[in-house]
Amino acid sequence: MLSKSPPVVWRSRIYRYRLIGCKCKNCGRVHYPPASACPYCSSRDLEEVELPRVGKVLSYSIVYAVDSDARERSPVILGLIDLGVTRIIAEITDANPEDIKIGSQLEAVFRRIGEDGETGVIIYGLKFRPVI
Amino acid sequence: MAYITGASMINIDRHYDKSIRRLASDAVFKLDSSSVENVDYVIVASSISYLQEPQLDLASYIASALGLRNARAFNVEAGEVSGATAVLMAKSLVDSRLASKVLVVGVDKLSNYPSAVTYKHISLLNDSESESLYSIGLGGIAGILMRLYMETYKVDRLTLAYWPALMHSNAKLNPYAMLRFTITPEKVLDAMPIADPITLLDTFPIGDGAAALVVESKPRDALAEIVAVESAVGYPSITLSPDPLRIDSLELAYSRLTEKLDLKRIDVIELHDSYTISAILQLESLRLAERGKAAEAVANGYFTVNGDGPVVNPSGGLKARGHPIGATSVYQVAEVASQIAGIFPGLKVPDAKSGLVVSVNGFGSNSYVVYLRGVE
Ligand SMILES: [Zn+2]
Repeated sequence: MLSKSPPVVWRSRIYRYRLIGCKCKNCGRVHYPPASACPYCSSRDLEEVELPRVGKVLSYSIVYAVDSDARERSPVILGLIDLGVTRIIAEITDANPEDIKIGSQLEAVFRRIGEDGETGVIIYGLKFRPVI
Repeated sequence: MAYITGASMINIDRHYDKSIRRLASDAVFKLDSSSVENVDYVIVASSISYLQEPQLDLASYIASALGLRNARAFNVEAGEVSGATAVLMAKSLVDSRLASKVLVVGVDKLSNYPSAVTYKHISLLNDSESESLYSIGLGGIAGILMRLYMETYKVDRLTLAYWPALMHSNAKLNPYAMLRFTITPEKVLDAMPIADPITLLDTFPIGDGAAALVVESKPRDALAEIVAVESAVGYPSITLSPDPLRIDSLELAYSRLTEKLDLKRIDVIELHDSYTISAILQLESLRLAERGKAAEAVANGYFTVNGDGPVVNPSGGLKARGHPIGATSVYQVAEVASQIAGIFPGLKVPDAKSGLVVSVNGFGSNSYVVYLRGVE
């Protein structure tokens, strides 16, 4: 990660701490992260909604070429996760690569997601782990 | 009407000894000196250099460094589609008669920092409000897409390894390519995994590069005509795309082109194979193969000089020619124009009369198509 200014990290906290997306009042579709207009129909009539915290794996990758600040947890499992109303790409935690299959059920957990080496800002956010 | 009357490239490499300005002048000074006389505009396409060798208003400094003190100059930064955007600007200036001669310089610097830092810079091609926040590089997304493709269409990993093998085979003949050695498909599978199922041999090498084009309103001595440039924006992330295995922006850009023109044949294509899966999805978005079938067509030699399809990436592509991010599509346009003029110094496409350049940012946030044709 590049150096993140504290205001940038602070500003995005709500969307990292809680799964807040937007639901379009015109077409009914949901997107994440929240945008100013619906990516599907351009409507500006949107309301923030909390997204489901459980989903299933649509696809995944086991990433070996990770940032220096994530090197001790390499490889990182990255999932394309279907939350039903929309999808999200997030890190899958508390699992070995061989535990993850397409269709695996996951749930969101609060974790430290990174640290900025230069500013020392520690960034928290959501990851997903297998539902036990 | 806009014509390419000059095209030049330098070899892509880690040019530790060369500044961004020196890379630009090395490319431009390979053109005939007369071809840069009376240049009205200099357009500089660059992207990662703004993070690695920061210089704001880069174009005016490059114009001065080139000795073009009477020119006007501006920058274009649009990630991986910077070069194609600059070509659109050049064509627009010429078509609108604001200029009669425009110099496009694609130049980028990726080797000023260790690869791990450069990959972070490259990850900014992704949406910084979602993916970049989680330090998700392009490789991870490519890995997700490749697995999804393999599962959806039941395509095995080995079939998908014929693409990089073909690119290396083509690049071996290209004097400007960064990786000029051949590999077998089996070797792709044995290479170091970077984002499983993707290995190191599925992706582009890190290198610096520069390429230049002279775009003029007159067809005299032209290599090719820039018939049309089209583009479209797409979803910022594959999470929003209704079908992540379709590049909506490329489909839209290409349909905008085909609505305008009767593309009876395309002899040569240079597309944006940042990863093996990118090439496969682009071939299918252009309908050169049915969905789920492009990898098999590649493995069967359909896109080679001896195949039935257009010749795709005779340069060796991003995979083996290299991918100096903001400069890449200037290389692609220079390569296709040189093929049409019959002067490309690598693998030649016999009797090429028309060609297409495909440029994509990330996995489709923005797509460009540039259609070139020979001059009668
Ligand atoms: Zn909507």
